[in-house]
Amino acid sequence: MRKTVLTLVLTLAVAMPAAAQQINLDFPGLADRAEEVVDLTIDADMLRVAAKFFSGKNKDERAIRDMISGLKGIYVRSYEFAKAGEYDMKLVDRIKTQLGPSWKPLVTVRSKKKDNVNIYADMRGDKIHGLVIIAAEPREFTVVNINGPIDIDRLADLEGQFGIPNMSHKDDDDDDHDH
Amino acid sequence: MNLENDLKRVLRRESPPAGFAGRVLERIEAEQTHRRPVWWRAAAASVTLGLLLGGYATHRVVEHRRGEAAKEQILTAMRIAGEKVRYAQQEVQQIGTPRP
Repeated sequence: MRKTVLTLVLTLAVAMPAAAQQINLDFPGLADRAEEVVDLTIDADMLRVAAKFFSGKNKDERAIRDMISGLKGIYVRSYEFAKAGEYDMKLVDRIKTQLGPSWKPLVTVRSKKKDNVNIYADMRGDKIHGLVIIAAEPREFTVVNINGPIDIDRLADLEGQFGIPNMSHKDDDDDDHDH
Repeated sequence: MNLENDLKRVLRRESPPAGFAGRVLERIEAEQTHRRPVWWRAAAASVTLGLLLGGYATHRVVEHRRGEAAKEQILTAMRIAGEKVRYAQQEVQQIGTPRP
């Protein structure tokens, strides 16, 4: 009996870090204050259904299909406000505190005028098994949680391709960078 | 003794009532005339088949719409994620680059 319990505990201990970690992206009341809201919850089932609609013949569609093939979920919450100060910056910390020990900060960009971006990766060995992107601007707050193995360079390369408009910031200003 | 008499009475041979055979034949004939004609059965089968095919087609359309909607959502999610990652990459690449 003791052996069975020990085996169960050990199995759970091994399985839990390997299990997909879904971050709580519930921000009560935030959507009511926002002018524009993007709220996307794409689970594994939806990803599987959508994968059939990305053509294997088109290079760009194939790239996206390959990228989403191993994912367990994509969750996006983006809020755009009419004026600055409509959300509490503590939300950023609230998300960070949910990240387990396997999550490592990849990039931190601090800017006075543009986005403050924090990118965290769920690192297991040298592979990324999940991504959390937190972008906090005075009038915009965005969180993206990609659950599953993802190639961050390919994700960045998607911009400007296949109807994904290139919206990168072109302006320069005085920013601080950490990474 | 009584039981024997009762059994004899109950199991005694009896002729059918008058016109029994005629009534049976009449009923058989009436049932045959009530059977649906072939064209009617063919039409019913066609309607059933049509309904089945229609149901399947509707299911396909619903699945297609669901798939297209999911695809659009994925593209939007990838656009937002890609935009933020690209921005962060650009900012990192600018480190040490002389500013105008």
